[in-house]
Amino acid sequence: MVIYSFYIFDRHTECIYSKSWLPPSADGSAPPQSSGAAGSIADRRSTRQAGDDAKLIFGTVFSLRNMVRKLGGDDDAFISYRTGQYKLHFYETASNLRMVLLTDTAAPSMRNVLHQIYINLWVEYVVKNPLSPVEHKGGVGVKNELFELGLDQFVRGLM
Amino acid sequence: MTIFTLIIINKAGGLVYNKAFHDAGLNKISTNDYLVLAGTFHGVHAITTRLNPAKNVPDRATITATPAAPAGILTRPEPPSGLEVLETENFRLQCFNTMTGTKFLLFTDTTQTNVDVTMRRVYEMYSDYVMKNPFYQLEMPIRCDIFDRKLLSHIREINNR
Repeated sequence: MVIYSFYIFDRHTECIYSKSWLPPSADGSAPPQSSGAAGSIADRRSTRQAGDDAKLIFGTVFSLRNMVRKLGGDDDAFISYRTGQYKLHFYETASNLRMVLLTDTAAPSMRNVLHQIYINLWVEYVVKNPLSPVEHKGGVGVKNELFELGLDQFVRGLM
Repeated sequence: MTIFTLIIINKAGGLVYNKAFHDAGLNKISTNDYLVLAGTFHGVHAITTRLNPAKNVPDRATITATPAAPAGILTRPEPPSGLEVLETENFRLQCFNTMTGTKFLLFTDTTQTNVDVTMRRVYEMYSDYVMKNPFYQLEMPIRCDIFDRKLLSHIREINNR
């Protein structure tokens, strides 16, 4: 199983955390050792693309969630979708925090994994952090060392 | 094992056919809502095609130099496909996108198996009874009696199995 990337969106629809586990060559950006202006342009392109991707992912997930709720009732929850190339897993908490995980198509249901990330990492290291604000505007308070390290270890353990 | 609903969306994102085969399962929504749903799904499907995390920039080098290809033969990778299966707690949605961009959406319950086979059968019926109908206008809502009847009898057989 390969895990491509992970996103967290807050209740104001803002992407407050994103992480990619793709090797630098595979996601289309230039390798980091390339020097000079070309490298910086490629970097800029890849960061812009990452931001655009987050917006596209949020739009997709938001539309699908509303569609699912309309058809399946208010208690229904959108779990995942699969295309020929990848699979997207979705988990929403009661406080409208939305977590998205992109994996390869062979991955089993990752709902419990996202739930574990919420319980063991988000609640422990972000919510219980006394220095972290209530609203994570621009990702403030999310990118702390314990959360990032815990997430990276957890996801690498799954692969 | 139940098939709830079939929706057919034309290549412009318009709803051309919708039919519910089972009363329970999915909420009843108005035809207007079905039209909105079809348009929304059409857009989302296009986005999901673009969101391929494995290769964001398909440049010429990766197209021509596929390692598995025999020498001298240029192959191009499969074009990215959009959403194929969507799973929720209460139902499962299978989408089949034809070469011409018509989308077939089958809503089933979560335990339904062999939806691919059903989908293929539905597509065959569409080709036989809709596309071969001389009075059918392309991209317009499907009103073909024989398509309705054949579809209903086929799905009823599956639902009663």
